[in-house]
This record gives sequence, structure tokens and C-alpha cells, in this order.
Amino acid sequence: MIAKKRLTAALALSLALAAGSHGVARADDSDKTFKIWWYETPDSAMGIAWNKAIEEFKAKHPDVTIAFEQKSWDQIEKAGSLILNSGEAPDLLEYNKGNAIAGLAASQGLLTDLTDVAAERGWDKTLTSSELLLSRYDDRGIFGTGPIWGIPDYGEFVAVYYNKNMFKDLGLEVPKTLAEFEKVMDAFVAKGITPIATAANDYPAQHLLTELALSKATPEWVQSYQGLKAPLDPAPYLYGAQTLQDWVKKGYVSKDATGLKATDMETLFETGKAPMVVSGTWFGGGFKSKIKDFEWGQFLFPGNTISSGSTGNIWVVPKSAKHKDWAYEFIDITLSKDNQALLGNSGGVPVAADPASLTDPVGLMMTENFKVLADRNGLGFYPDWPAPGFYEVMLQKTQALIGGTITPEEFVEQISGPYNEAQAEAN
Amino acid sequence: MASTVDRPSGRAGLNLGYLPYLLPGAIGFFVVVLIPFLMNIAVSFTRWKGIGVPKFIGLENYLKLFQDKTFWAAFEHSVACVIAMALIPTALGLFLGAVLFDYIGPRFGPRASSGLRAAFYLPQILPVAVAGVLWGWILSPIGVLNTILDGLGLHALSQNWLGDPATALLAVMFVMVWLQLGYALVVFMAGLARVDPALYEAAELDGAPWLSRFRHITIPMLKPEIFVVGLTTTIAALKVFAPVYVLTSGGPDNATTVPSYFAYYHFFTTNRVGYGAAITTVQTLITIVLGLVFLRVQRKQTEGAN
Repeated sequence: MIAKKRLTAALALSLALAAGSHGVARADDSDKTFKIWWYETPDSAMGIAWNKAIEEFKAKHPDVTIAFEQKSWDQIEKAGSLILNSGEAPDLLEYNKGNAIAGLAASQGLLTDLTDVAAERGWDKTLTSSELLLSRYDDRGIFGTGPIWGIPDYGEFVAVYYNKNMFKDLGLEVPKTLAEFEKVMDAFVAKGITPIATAANDYPAQHLLTELALSKATPEWVQSYQGLKAPLDPAPYLYGAQTLQDWVKKGYVSKDATGLKATDMETLFETGKAPMVVSGTWFGGGFKSKIKDFEWGQFLFPGNTISSGSTGNIWVVPKSAKHKDWAYEFIDITLSKDNQALLGNSGGVPVAADPASLTDPVGLMMTENFKVLADRNGLGFYPDWPAPGFYEVMLQKTQALIGGTITPEEFVEQISGPYNEAQAEAN
Repeated sequence: MASTVDRPSGRAGLNLGYLPYLLPGAIGFFVVVLIPFLMNIAVSFTRWKGIGVPKFIGLENYLKLFQDKTFWAAFEHSVACVIAMALIPTALGLFLGAVLFDYIGPRFGPRASSGLRAAFYLPQILPVAVAGVLWGWILSPIGVLNTILDGLGLHALSQNWLGDPATALLAVMFVMVWLQLGYALVVFMAGLARVDPALYEAAELDGAPWLSRFRHITIPMLKPEIFVVGLTTTIAALKVFAPVYVLTSGGPDNATTVPSYFAYYHFFTTNRVGYGAAITTVQTLITIVLGLVFLRVQRKQTEGAN
């Protein structure tokens, strides 16, 4: 989901490390320095809201020096546990949710248990129990149960972005069912247009496949799949894989997707070459600022009750943090109605905003869709979460599926292997 | 008696004299290479997630490794990398170096020759990550190359270069040749400057055509350079990572995975640090063995020449 940042992150990694040691924010560890790290870019909705939160914190504590460091997602993904395990950890940081990262850190005792603080400060009331699922990890590091180790303040999900002008030109309506969706795509294929742009040399293709798989999934299947509760029940994936290959044959998705990155997919949509993309809300802000030539919108994947989606990455307080109270206070600010409204009005998906306070059409549209999913228990999380390294497996195999080098049966067999191995290891 | 006493003390003096010069390199080698490598070997016998306490599991990682198809496929791709980063650049560099030195230089002037040499060397000074991004744009299905081919009406030739298992490894190999060629070329041109021009003049007077001179003078005279380039590029090929990482991430469906990338995948994404350590240990041993074979062959050749 966030892997679109992978390449830039790899480049940024060395720069960020270098910057860290040059003292951009490397104040001393005196009692009056509050160290915060996150990796959302300054122009993202989260970046905007959290920078405002820093201002607010400073106003309340004029004597405190804030030592902020901009990190990259990849940096935390690859080296997060090493940082938490060192003496260099900050007081508060944005951390990657999921078993492989937050779960691992929690199970190794590197994070502060926030269960009591959450009750004290009312975070467990602000956030619903389903919104707190990714905050809880058990002693094996698997999410869903156990103490609260982190707090999210935004949401994200996968949906269909569409070019309203191209739909209007062909007299097409937003589809409500999978059959209607296929009819819409037929109309584009008849005009020689590939209806869905996707990228299989990157994460978007596995999200498209997962949407198809989730059309056959129940909440129980999702829980069992994400929680490594049993060996993989492959039926939904088999259906998804068959349908995806079918879609490639029908021309709904191009075989060339195997050579495309998420940014290529983004470009195809932004330049009006593709009428639809199926991807996450993290594209909303970019589309908002870059698309000027046509109107666009977003609809939930037709016919699905469940979609890939979840609360965002989480605030965690390292076990070794020096100023835990300030960290809790900062989380309070980011969960406040004002800060949440700012996040939404900057094109993000707040989890605790007052809907009436949202004026930005993009933020409002996505927040409403998020609420629809969350209210019907329709957040299906992401396909790569169950086991560390499963992202690569899903990526490689979805790519092969679209390229036609493996059959749907082989796909299911090849993803079941690593999944079942991880499942056996975890239990 | 005096001489037997003198000789050892003389030798000891000589050794001690070198010591200060060896020291920085030796310290660097111990701290940056040897100690981490020994630690890596130790880790390869454990199950470890990168934090917490490693669990000793004996040879389990190695046994698993030898049954891992992706690991063996990665080594097959290493052979392709040796072809792309060592064999082709050495052969092509030798040929192009000779052409620039013998033909372009004398006919079009040293400026043309050094201009071209610099052009071939350019990829070497470009960061690999940047070069990879650029080639990613060029080789993308909607990229520059296909756009040009389509523009010329050559639709049949446009391919999904990096996304099709049939072409992905070849495309990555092509980029590797492009990256590595300049290095070989520059070393060979420097070597050619060392060769006595009288040899070529004599051969030319005897009526030897260019190809004969290339075969009988250039190649034998450049043997030391060929061995150095061959060795360094082979080692670079065996540990190649960046071009694969930025161009294909080992895909499609592991068609371009190499041992370094495979180890990286286990170190940082599956959290199987012990397994990743086993991969790198095997990879290092293979590299060392091949390096020693190379050096041995080189020594034999030099001794033979003498």
C-alpha cells in the first residue's frame, strides 16, 4: 500500500540518515527536548495536520524544544526495530502497523503498553473497537487482540477512482454490482480503451486481485486470514485469480501492467489515458492537486461488502522514551476535532472528525466512503499483512498471473506455501 | 655467522617498516569486513528475527537453502550477470578500446577519442539508483523505447521489456553492460598507451591487417589489464544488487532475482535474518573461491609470460 514510496524511500534513506546526524533537529537529549518522528510528507494531509499539531504543542509548552525528524516509510520498515532497540529512539513516532513491524516490536517489548493511557485519555472511546484492531498485538505479535500498543488517527482504503468526463462521454453510470462494472468496462473496450490501469511491478495489482477475492470473502475469512488462525482457505483467492486472468483476456486490464509501477498507473489516470484505477486513498491528495483537465470521483468496489482498508499507521511510544507524557499529549492533539477536521480538509481520511466540519470535497468523499466501509465491518485489511515477506510473494505471483505465466490454480498453490509455513511457525 | 644474524634482523626491519602502511587497511578490513563476516556466519546457524535472542538451530538454514528453488534460480541469474557485467564488457571494451585507440584517435584526433571514451564512462559516474530509474522509464511498456518503436511503425518490436519473464533478464543484462562497459574501456585504453607503438608499426609494415594486430599484439599485451578487469567485474557481478533492486525488484515472478537481492529480502522483509545470513555466507564462499581461481590462473599466465 505504501510501497509506492519504495524507490524514493531507498534514495531518501541515506539522505535522511545523513541529515539525522547533521543536526537538523538533533538537539541534545536534555530534559526540555521532545523528539518526534514521522514519515508522512509535509504536503500530505497527515503532514499538514501534524505540523499544525506541533504548532499547538509549542504554544502550550513554550519552554520545550521540539526535535522533529522526517523519516521514510521504508526506513522504519527496514530498520524500525533496530532504532527502537537502540538508545536513539524518539519519544513518539509514526510506526508501520501490521504483524511484521508493529507486532514484532510489541512482542519484543520495545513499545510502551498504552492500554491504561488510552482508557484514561478516552482514546478507546474516540476510536471504535474495530479501529483499534491494528493497535492491539498479542505476545506472538499478531494483531487483533492483546494490549493497545499504538494509536491511529487516519484511515485508508482501496476503491475505484474514475474519470467522470470519460464516463459521461459514453453515457455510463457508476456501477453498483460486478455485472454492471463489467458492462461499463465492455463499453470502454469497445472504444479501444483499456478501462482499468494497474501496475503489477508494484502493489496496485495485488489490491485489484484482493478486491476480487474479497467479493467472495466473509468477515470470518478475513479474520482467519489476517490472524493466521488456520491454513489458507484458498477459495476466494482462486475466484479472484480466475476473474483477474479473465479480465486480462477481455481487455479490462492490460498484460503490460506487469512492467508498470504505481507511478505509471497514476500518470495514466492523471493524463486521461485510463478511465479507472483501483487503488488506495493515499492517491486522493495527489489527484486533487494534479488533475485540472477533467472531473474525477471515487466509488467503492462494486458489489463488495468488504474492501482492503484499515486505520492508518500508528503513533507508538518507545519503551525507552524519555517524555511519555508529552507523547500522550501530542496524540491527544492529533485526535482533537480541530486537527481531525484539518486532516480531512487537506484531502485525508480522518477517523475522529465531525463530518459537519469537513468542507473539502475530496476529504469529504473519502471520509464518507470510509465510514460506509467501517460501519458495515467492511475493512478487509491488506493482503500482504499476515506474514513478514508476504508482500513480495503476493507481488511476484500477481505479476505472473497477469502475465499469464501461471494458472489461477498455481497462483493459489504458490501463495499457500509461504502462508501455511508462516501460519505453522506462528502457532 | 654475522650474515645469518643480519638477514633475519634485516627481514624483520623490512616487515616493521611496512607495518604502519598496512595498519589502516588492516583495521578497516577487520572492523568492516572480517568481524561482521564472522558474525554473519554465526547468525547463519540461528533462527533470529533481527531483535530478541537468536536461537541456535545448527545447519537447518543451510539444509533449507539447498532445497530452495528460488535460491538456485538466483545463482543461475548470477551466471547471466557474469556474462553481462564481466564477459561482454571485457570483450566489447577490449574491442572498442582498440578501435578508439587505433582508428578513431589517429584519424579523428585525440579529442574525438577521449570524448567517446568519456561518453562510454559516463554510466560509471551516475549513481546506479538514478540510472535504474532512467532505464525504468525507457523500458516501461509506456516508456521511451516503446514510444519510439511505435512512432517508427515498428509495433511488432515493442515489448513489455521488464514485465515479461522472457525479456526481463535480458533487459537487466543490457543495462548492466551499459553500466560496466566504460570501466573496462578506460582500463584497456590506459593499457594500450603502455604498449610500445613499434610493435604495431612493425606488424603494419609486415602487412598484418588490423584484426591480426588486435589478436596477436593487443590482446597478449593487455593480459594483465584483462585479468584485473575480469576479476573485478566478475566479483561485482556475483554481488550485484542495485540494478536488480531498482529495475525489477527480482521480478517478474523471480525471473531476475539474484543472491544479494534474495538475501536482502530475507534480512529485511521476512525477518528471517538467520536464513539471510546463510545465503550471504554461501554467496561469499562462492565469490572467494572464484576470486582465488582467477588469481591462480592469472599468476600462472604471468609466470608463463615471464
